Amino acid sequence: MRRRELVAGVASAAAIGGAALFAAGATPTGIGGSDDAGDPTASDEGTETVEPMTIDTIEAPGSRDGEVAVPASDRPTFVDFFGTWCPPCVEQMPALGDANDRVGDRVLFVSVTTEAVGRSVTEAEIAEWWTEHDGGWLVGADPTAELAARANVSGYPTAAVIDAAGRLRWSESGIHTADELVAEIEAVL
Amino acid sequence: MNRRDSLRSIAAAGAVATAGCLGVLGGSGRTVLDPPEQDLSAAAHPSHGDELPAVEFSDPIAGEEIATSDFEGERAMLLTFFYTNCPDGVCPALILRLRRAQEVAAEEGYIENSAFLPITFDPERDTAPVLEEYATQQGVNLEAGNWHFLRPESYEAGQTAIEEEFGLKIEKVYDSDYENLEYTFPHYGLILLANKQGVVERAYPSGSTVDIERIVADFERVVTA
Repeated sequence: MRRRELVAGVASAAAIGGAALFAAGATPTGIGGSDDAGDPTASDEGTETVEPMTIDTIEAPGSRDGEVAVPASDRPTFVDFFGTWCPPCVEQMPALGDANDRVGDRVLFVSVTTEAVGRSVTEAEIAEWWTEHDGGWLVGADPTAELAARANVSGYPTAAVIDAAGRLRWSESGIHTADELVAEIEAVL
Repeated sequence: MNRRDSLRSIAAAGAVATAGCLGVLGGSGRTVLDPPEQDLSAAAHPSHGDELPAVEFSDPIAGEEIATSDFEGERAMLLTFFYTNCPDGVCPALILRLRRAQEVAAEEGYIENSAFLPITFDPERDTAPVLEEYATQQGVNLEAGNWHFLRPESYEAGQTAIEEEFGLKIEKVYDSDYENLEYTFPHYGLILLANKQGVVERAYPSGSTVDIERIVADFERVVTA
């Protein structure tokens, strides 16, 4: 099975992700959580490939009703994982808009909700939230959290950068500044 | 409790066995997975080869009492500990891991052999309607019949059971940084995977950041064994 074969590779991405989080102090409640569950920690940074999948995109400002392959095959990809229920995701929006203005033409720049769009929330509700919070770029849905699993989302929002070769280079939860987002994106350009 | 005492000794015996005959334990029939690379048997929480603590809490949405022992012989389990007011994203990350396993269980056809059991340690605020709304937000499928939010009957009862049975110390903190919340519960994100015989296969103490596909793959190996 495809998923099973990927597991060994992805596990080391988690180890990297975890280390990055602790280094950035992004897990304030991680009391006693410094050990880990016997994670295989064969860290091999930057070599974890994110298998491309099709994400349905939503008709909304800056976005259209359609599909997009994530990650892109011809350029780096930036994904903002969010939920319309998530206040910090609202706070993250202005910096995302700024980052998109600065580097959005050089990468696939997309926000993806992990909500069960089509089951517990409608596309129209996502579009409404998007409009209200001044979204102006591609927005899509990951209703079974499959992409979120591949990018190892560890909170909301999570920012993820995948290079043009499809390798997960950065995945970190928390609110980031536009400068931080742009720096992580530019690192793979 | 006598049961707990006997569990402790079993756990201790397990630790000795692990140290004494590494590599044999995985084939002993109690667990599907081999011991983890990092030995967690000294941790306060249950770990590989331990009996899953037998606890019973209510599922307020379904309106029924659920005991972990109800699933023995039938369902592999993923448990976690959370509260819906969790302000920093740790809890949604824990729930996401169980939810992704639930999605894959549906895709791969082992819904009936799976149970997902997030236990709240904030029963005062996490009532049935609150939990139901949270399920909607987090994309949880309550219709599948294998997801039970578990709610202790009181904060104190939950605190005692979660500490004594699962080794997680829970405390209300009133001077939190979050002005809209009267109190928070600093905690670490623990996820437990137990097999159909009620034996712990994996403990993930950094559960909110642990690789999602790894948990899903571990769960699938255990549930399909």
